[in-house]
Amino acid sequence: MSAVLAAERPQVVSHVQQALSYTVFDCKWVPRSARLLCLGSAARGTGVLQLYELNGARLQLLREIEKPKPIKCGTFGATSLQQRYLATGDFDGNLNIWNLEAPEIPVYSVKGHKEIINSIDGVGGLGIGEGAPEIVTGSRDGTVKVWDPRQNDIPVANMESVQGESKRDCWTVAFGNAYNLEERVVCAGYDNGDIKLFDLKTMSLRWETNIKNGVCSVEFDRKDINMNKLVATSLEGKFHVFDMRTQHPTKGFAYVSEKAQKSTIWQVRHLPQNRDIFMTSGGSGSLHLWKYEYPAQRSKKDSEGCEMGVAGSLSLLQNVTLSTQPISSLDWSPDKTGLCVCGAYDQTVRVLIVTKLNKI
Amino acid sequence: MCLHERVEFMGDESVPYFLGEGTTKTYQIPISHLDYKFIEKCTDVKHLEKILRVLRSGEEGCYPDLTLVCEKRIERLDPRSRALRKDKPPATASDFTAGEWQAINSELMNWLTEMNEDDRKSQLMRTDTPNERQDNLPPVRCSSSCLPTNQNKKLQNKQRSKKNIPRDYSEWDKFDVEKECSKIDEDCEESNSKARFFSRPSLPIIEKKIDTIGMTNRDKIIIATREKEKGNEAFASGDYVEAVTYYTRSLSVIPTAAVYNNKAQAEIKLQDWDNALEDCEKVLDMEPGNIKALMRRATVHSHLQNYQTAIEDLNKVLSVEPKNTNAKKRLLELEEKLKSLKPVSEPQGKGKKILIQEIEDAESGEGRGENTEECERRGGGSGAAAAARAGGQRAMGNAHRKSHGKGGKARDRDAHKNQDSAESRLKKGEPEKKSEKHLSDHEGEVNGFLRSDEKSESAEAEISEPPREESQSAGSGSSTALPPTAAKLKSEGNELFKSGQFGEAVLKYSEAIEYVTSLGEQRPDDLSILYSNRAACYLKEGNCSDCIQDCNRALELQPFSLKPLLRRAMANESMERYRQAYIDYKTVLQIDSSIQAANDSANRITKTLIDQDGPSWREKLPPIPVVPVAAQLHRWDGGSLTSENKPSTIDINREEQLQMNCEEAVEKFKRLKNEGNDFVKMGEYEEAANKYSECMKLNTEECTVYTNRALCYLKLYKYEEAKRDCDHVLQIEDSNIKAFYRRALAYKGLQNYQASADDFSKVLLIDPNVLEAQKELEEVTQLLHFDGSAGAGSQQTHGKKITIQEVTEADEEEERQFATSEDAETRRVPAEEAVPKPVPRRASEKRRVSEPPNAYDFGQMINALNANKDKAACADLLTVTDPKTLPVLLSNKLEGETLLIFIQSLEHYIAGKDPGLAYQHLFYLSKAERFKVVLALLSKNEKGEVQQLFDLLSKSWSDQYSLEDLESLKKVYEL
Repeated sequence: MSAVLAAERPQVVSHVQQALSYTVFDCKWVPRSARLLCLGSAARGTGVLQLYELNGARLQLLREIEKPKPIKCGTFGATSLQQRYLATGDFDGNLNIWNLEAPEIPVYSVKGHKEIINSIDGVGGLGIGEGAPEIVTGSRDGTVKVWDPRQNDIPVANMESVQGESKRDCWTVAFGNAYNLEERVVCAGYDNGDIKLFDLKTMSLRWETNIKNGVCSVEFDRKDINMNKLVATSLEGKFHVFDMRTQHPTKGFAYVSEKAQKSTIWQVRHLPQNRDIFMTSGGSGSLHLWKYEYPAQRSKKDSEGCEMGVAGSLSLLQNVTLSTQPISSLDWSPDKTGLCVCGAYDQTVRVLIVTKLNKI
Repeated sequence: MCLHERVEFMGDESVPYFLGEGTTKTYQIPISHLDYKFIEKCTDVKHLEKILRVLRSGEEGCYPDLTLVCEKRIERLDPRSRALRKDKPPATASDFTAGEWQAINSELMNWLTEMNEDDRKSQLMRTDTPNERQDNLPPVRCSSSCLPTNQNKKLQNKQRSKKNIPRDYSEWDKFDVEKECSKIDEDCEESNSKARFFSRPSLPIIEKKIDTIGMTNRDKIIIATREKEKGNEAFASGDYVEAVTYYTRSLSVIPTAAVYNNKAQAEIKLQDWDNALEDCEKVLDMEPGNIKALMRRATVHSHLQNYQTAIEDLNKVLSVEPKNTNAKKRLLELEEKLKSLKPVSEPQGKGKKILIQEIEDAESGEGRGENTEECERRGGGSGAAAAARAGGQRAMGNAHRKSHGKGGKARDRDAHKNQDSAESRLKKGEPEKKSEKHLSDHEGEVNGFLRSDEKSESAEAEISEPPREESQSAGSGSSTALPPTAAKLKSEGNELFKSGQFGEAVLKYSEAIEYVTSLGEQRPDDLSILYSNRAACYLKEGNCSDCIQDCNRALELQPFSLKPLLRRAMANESMERYRQAYIDYKTVLQIDSSIQAANDSANRITKTLIDQDGPSWREKLPPIPVVPVAAQLHRWDGGSLTSENKPSTIDINREEQLQMNCEEAVEKFKRLKNEGNDFVKMGEYEEAANKYSECMKLNTEECTVYTNRALCYLKLYKYEEAKRDCDHVLQIEDSNIKAFYRRALAYKGLQNYQASADDFSKVLLIDPNVLEAQKELEEVTQLLHFDGSAGAGSQQTHGKKITIQEVTEADEEEERQFATSEDAETRRVPAEEAVPKPVPRRASEKRRVSEPPNAYDFGQMINALNANKDKAACADLLTVTDPKTLPVLLSNKLEGETLLIFIQSLEHYIAGKDPGLAYQHLFYLSKAERFKVVLALLSKNEKGEVQQLFDLLSKSWSDQYSLEDLESLKKVYEL
């Protein structure tokens, strides 16, 4: 039976498994290379940054760097393809940008937040997204800040709750809508289920909603197009796909939701080569590969004549269980379709090959 | 508990008792349901999922086989069922065939080696590349305002600069959408930044080009690929405009055949035939045998009605892939189409493009060129405009409207039918429209009236947009006559109609009708209008059968009213009752031949009927009723729109009698006239004139025949006869604008400039918007002055060949070719009074030697020149054309024939006089698209021609070029 299935559906092959001696929080492919980075926290409370190279059927450790604070997250999104500087957020609220060739001192450093930076995203680099290179960080201190590596010490935009009000823990941030020099949005997800969409062009809150459970991960299907879809995953195993093309004045964006598993969905990552395919990683150590199918008409008029979006449907292409522990991070290779790395709390990083993605 | 009942029912009926009583622990499912037979029969997925869960849990025992059966059953009923999702381990080698597994691994290894090599290279380069792109980057956000020392201040700064924009959550939370919305309504100026909050900009502005400065080749490949992927994704989601944008971006980085091909496909979806064609051709330039591009080009050609070319493309596909079923199917379709079109015209080697032009010519022979699409867009409301865009046809619009309406089932069915027919027409009708549009634009230049028609024809608007004029003419015109209640109801109905609420409008009109009938008074005209209006509503709703009924009633009350006839025709057309529709359109045209939509529709239906009934289609038509003369209108000014009241005086009996008597004659008349029109279409003006003359024997009252014959005479340079015909028309109808216009042209031809100017002014008096007449008037006035001073015999005119030619011809008296309007000012007018003589009709093409405004017109001229091999005219054309514009004007239409005639006319006419110009033309000609290809295809003799031209140029001298220039150009011409 599996042979039949293999002929039609994408298969997830666990290509390499690499046990680590620390807790891995994030792993990232170095753009335009066969190298990958693992970021995490060593047992003695320091930060670890490891650079591996995929070498046939094994991962070869090229470099290990220790930093004083555990590193929670990283991105290459705001760097040029030539430089490939890594931006990281650590447990202490520091935003650092590293030159991996000379990682001793950061090329840019700022104490951006009072507490841990949970999430980081970049845009404007790697040829993805028009406009200035910018980094957004979301922190437990409740603020979301946008940074330009060319401006030291202070963020270029800051989104925080007013004083006196209870601060919400920001768990995830993502850039989107960067299709020309002016337009850009930041989407942030919070522990109480709030999702907020900030428009950086008009410096305003464009939309917000609440999905009832903590928002673990948000991502636009592509950062550099007129925003199309947004996936938000939640603590209790559901995720929502919003069609971001049509915003209704009161109803906001149309969405479809799906329950992948009983446990938290930690991450969602869209396939860089096809925006309608994405993978979610779950608390039970499972991965689900989904495809979004558009409805015949993406928008319709409501009774008052306002345009409102129509959500499409989701189909599960494949699911696999890799581990007993949550898979906390996931990254598709931007260069090789179907190549994927994921880090799990069983202190293992896995390189996966997903087959037949170009035949869907 | 529906489910429960169902379960019980099933248990009772179909499951034999064998396991004993009892239910499962978790879901209380009867134990008897855990059974092969039950599972095989059960269709309730929910219930099956529960069973599966029970089986998987093992609480009732472990039955692996039964579990599998249950899974399969669910999978068959609902492949997406969540219960089927199982935790699966990642795939391993055993899940693949050996080959697949190897392929996966080797693919990865290849990529790894590629990456490593790449890495090494880029490492070498890295030292000199950093910060390269920094200069191109946009400024740091908000850094333009002075940087504040702390964040709070900065926030305030921002707040000040962008007032009313909330800054933090609490403010965001307080954000009152309603209030803000109303604020926007009040204050438009301020809405700029916030409006996008609520209504997104209609189209995102995406740069069409990507700045590739400082990028390495590899960067470019990556970017181009990514943009292509974005295009593919947009295409997949149905957003073709965006897809085209991203393909364009990809092409701006690296042009590849595949992306051009994809772009062509997206453009086909957008029905942007021209660009699609261009892109297909680019693909084929790069990859001459590209099947997809050939298929796509065939599609485009068939939509542009170039069936012959389309067939050629399909044949090419089939020669490469003989088993391509899609191509075969399309080829068959096209061949059929081509066959069905043949009877319309003489078989032409030139293919379809010419054919359309000729048809259009004939239409303009009737004095009109128009297109529904355009007038609909102009006249209709936004909804109608959108519909017009989608379908280009009213029927489509109706279908659209209807599907939004709240109609009952019957209506819905109707809508589907309509939509079908509209769609089927969309296939052939729409592109036809498009090309017609181009053509009519062009014809406007050639044939005076078109422009004016398009501009001023409210008769067209009348059809495309019944609401407004309806309420104007009917509402204001006759509401005085109606009893107040009915008048009020009617105007309410009109209002509703205008706002697009057709259903409500129907109710109002029905009330009004009821009211009027209940009065018992004889108000046939009012009632007729009411019925007609209601019919318009039904038509808009797509309720064709009711529309027809109402039209019938209206026509009973008011025979030969224009609008009900038109509406009935449209309704019939959308119901695919083409014969009835044809009859109605023809009747309409008898009443008012100036209604272009009717003209067009009749033409369209003719085609459909030919398709349907074959060449003898006319025999199957019911007789076309004869319209009494009194009901006929030949309005050109379009000012008076109310036609409904006109025929009111007619005694029906008398008219019926007339009809009986005239029926035969009218049939014949119609036939002759049509034949005449056909001849005009083919350019056989003599024959056409003969036919029209025969027509006149049957009916001396029909003005169109005279105006048409006048047109033929004009084309034949028989100005005296043309003038006579126009005079006749003007006797019958003293404000026939067409007749005035043509008489003016005739006078001009007779060199009676004063009279000509008078007539042109009359045309402008009747309709000041007739641009052609304005232009002509200017020219004629100029000529008048010129004529006056001609005695002086000033020789300053440019030594143009045509001038000389003319003078010599004029010497032979009467032999002079009459020249014409557009270029008249460029030539000297001989003093002798010359009577024009008929010349072969081809010479008429000589007329147009004005500078071509666009590539399309230029192409048309070239086609004409090629057909005549008229080098002199070509030389004239080249003289007035700026050499620099040649590549643009030629676009991708350069062909061997064209090149040759250029070369010849340059050699024979221009090189001698103005070698500089000849050189310039040659130079820019070599910059035209397809030049290389065309050049490669030249025969030896033709190359000889080119060589001769170069020889000639090297002998003569001009400051515009040196011999070196010439030599290098020669190389370009591969000599």
